[in-house]
Amino acid sequence: MKERRLSRGRALRHSRLQLALAVAAIAAAVSLPVVLISVGGGVSAHELANLQSAGSQIVVSTSGLHSIAQSHTLAQQILRIGSVTAASPILSVAIDAFNATGSVDPVLAEGVIPAEFLPTVSPVERALFPSPLPLGEPTDLVHFDNGTYGGPANYSVIISTPYAQHANLTVGDRILLAPSPNPALGVEYNITGVFGVPPTVIGPTGAFAVMLPLSDLQVLTGYGPAATSPVPDGSDTIQVSVTGAAATHPAALQNVVDAIQQLVPKYSVSTLSQQVQQLEAASGVLTGFYVALSSVGLTIGLLFLALVLLRRVESDRRSIGIRRAIGLPGRMIASEILRAGLAISVAGALIGILVGWAVVEGLATWATSTVQEAAQLAIFSPVVLTEIALGVAGLSLLAGALAARSALRLEIGEALR
Amino acid sequence: MNGPEYRVPSVELAGVTRTYLEGTAEEVHALRGIDLTIGSGEFVSVEGPSGCGKTTLLNLLGLLDAPTAGEIRWDGRSVGALTDRARARLRLEGVGFIFQRFYLLPTLTARENVELPMRALRVPRADRVERARELLREVGLTERERSYPHQLSGGEEQRVAVARALANRPGLLLADEPTGELDSGNTRAILDLLVRVREARKATLILVSHNPEVAARAGRHLTMRDGAVARDLREA
Ligand SMILES: Nc1ncnc2c1ncn2[C@@H]1O[C@H](COP(=O)(O)OP(=O)(O)O)[C@@H](O)[C@H]1O
Ligand SMILES: [Mg+2]
Repeated sequence: MKERRLSRGRALRHSRLQLALAVAAIAAAVSLPVVLISVGGGVSAHELANLQSAGSQIVVSTSGLHSIAQSHTLAQQILRIGSVTAASPILSVAIDAFNATGSVDPVLAEGVIPAEFLPTVSPVERALFPSPLPLGEPTDLVHFDNGTYGGPANYSVIISTPYAQHANLTVGDRILLAPSPNPALGVEYNITGVFGVPPTVIGPTGAFAVMLPLSDLQVLTGYGPAATSPVPDGSDTIQVSVTGAAATHPAALQNVVDAIQQLVPKYSVSTLSQQVQQLEAASGVLTGFYVALSSVGLTIGLLFLALVLLRRVESDRRSIGIRRAIGLPGRMIASEILRAGLAISVAGALIGILVGWAVVEGLATWATSTVQEAAQLAIFSPVVLTEIALGVAGLSLLAGALAARSALRLEIGEALR
Repeated sequence: MNGPEYRVPSVELAGVTRTYLEGTAEEVHALRGIDLTIGSGEFVSVEGPSGCGKTTLLNLLGLLDAPTAGEIRWDGRSVGALTDRARARLRLEGVGFIFQRFYLLPTLTARENVELPMRALRVPRADRVERARELLREVGLTERERSYPHQLSGGEEQRVAVARALANRPGLLLADEPTGELDSGNTRAILDLLVRVREARKATLILVSHNPEVAARAGRHLTMRDGAVARDLREA
C-alpha cells in the first residue's frame, strides 16, 4: 500500500515535469513566429508608410548607383511633360569631410537640384530643411552650364545637425570636402545651413550627412563629364512629383509615366503605388517565409505535445481502464485527453506570446542600432496573435486525437491487470 | 435513464472460450468452452487456483471483454459480439464492477468517483450529488465524501468502490476478489455490505473469492480449474 502511494507521488511529479516541458516547448515554438511576424510586419508597415507619405509619385531608376546619365538634361525634359511639377535627380556618394581641427569624418553627401528637391519629399521631411535650400542658384544650371560645367560654383553646403554637433560646426564655418581621405583632393565649402536627419532620404545610417548642389558633387566625385573620361552627368534616381489629375487618377498618372518612359526606354519608371504593391508583395513573401520557418518549430513543439499526451495515456492506463470498465462513453474519455492537450497548448501559446513580446521589448530597449530600430517598429497585431494561438490550439487537437485514439484502443482487461 | 427496476434477468454463456495472444507463441487458453447459466438474483461464488480463468470469466460476464468463440446472452439476447460501444453502454447501465484493487480514480474525490457513472448517463447534477451522498451514507462514508482516495484507508476505498458500482442501479454485480487486499475486519465489513446491498436490490451477485466465509454465504458455488468449470454446487 505504502509503496503504491509513494510511486504514485513520483509518477505525479514526473508527469508534472513532462507537462511543464510540453508547455515550454510550445511556448518556445510560438515565441519565434510572434517575434518574426511582429517585427517583420512592423518594419514593412513603416516602410510602406514612408512610401505612402512621400511627396513624389514617380521614380526613375536603373540598376546600379550613379548610373542615370544626363541627369540635368533628363530632369529638364521631364519637367516639360504636362502635370509634372518637379523632377529631382539625386546623387548619393560617401565622401570625406575635413573640419577646421583637421579631423576627418566619412559623411554621406547628397547632390540635389536645390529648387527640385523639396517639392518631391514628404511634408514631414520638408520641415527638416531650410526652405528654399540655401545652395546657390536654384536650378543648378549656372555651374552645370549645359554639360560644360563652365559657370561659377558657389561652394555652398548644408550639413546635418548630428554632424554639426559632432564637428562643432555652425553656419558660416568652412569645411573641406574630398572624394577620398586625402585632403589634397579637397575643395573648400561654405556652410550655409543645417538640416534635421530625414529617416528615408538619407536613412538612419546617414546621420553624418551633407547636401550640396548636384553638379558640385558630380565634379567633386567624378560623376560629371570631365575632359579626360566621358562619365556622364550621373545620379541615382530622379524623383518626380505631379499635380492635377495625374496626382489622383491612376490612368492620368500612367500617361505621365509613359511619357517619361519614352524619354528613357532603358530605365525603370515606376509609380509609388507600384512600389507600394511591390513592397506589399515582398513583405507578404517574407511573412510566408516566417510562417514556414516557424511552422518547423511549431511542428516540433506539437510532436512533443503528442508524445507527452501519449505517455500520459500510457501512465494513465489504469485510470483509463477504470473509466472504460465502468462503461463511460469513448467521447467522454477522448474529450478529457483533448482538453488536456488544449490546455497545455493554450498555456504554451499564451506564454509564448508573452515571451515573444518580452523579447521584442528587450531588443527595443537594449539591442544595438538596426536591431533596436527594427524592434521598436514591431506591431503586435491582435488578429495575427489570435491566428497563431488558434492555429496552435487546432493542431493540439490533432495531437490530442492521436493520444485519444490510443486510449480507446487500450485493452481494458490488460490495462487493469 | 433506466429506472430502479433495471436488471439483468439472466446471464448465459454457451461454448465460450477466451484465448489471449491468439496465434502467437505465448497463446493462453484462459477459458476452454464454458457453458453456464446464472439466473436473475442469484448469489454465486467463484473459486479456484490463481490463473484458472476467474477474472477472465467475470470480464466476459460483465462484457468488459469479448469471447474468442461462443456466445454470451443477457436475458436470451446475444450480447457478447456487440460493438465496443454497445457493450460499454450495457456495462454502464447494467453492470457494477468491484475489483480487487479498489481502482478509484485518484484525481477525483470519493463523491466524484461515485458520481462518475451517473455523469456518463447525463444525470442532472443535483440528482447525481444527492444519489452519491445517499450511496456513501449506505456504505457508511457520509463524512468522507470530499476525501481523495489517497486519504482513505483500504477498507474505505473499497466501500467507495461498492458505492460507485451501485450508482446506476445495475442488475449485475461482479466482484473480483474484493477483499483480497483487506484485513479480516474489513473483509467481513465489505462482505456484509455486498450481501446487504444485493438483498436490498435483488441483484445478481457473482463474487470471486478464496475466502471460505464468502462461499458460505453464497447460494451457488462454482469451482474453476484450468479454464473450465470443475464443479457447480447449489445450496439445498
Ligand atoms: N490480458 C492478458 N494477456 C495474456 N494473458 C492473460 C491476460 N489476462 C489473463 N491472462 C492469462 O490467462 C490466464 C487466466 O487468467 P485470469 O483469468 O486472470 O485468472 P485468475 O483470475 O483465475 O487468476 C492466466 O494464465 C493469465 O496469465
Ligand atoms: Mg484474477
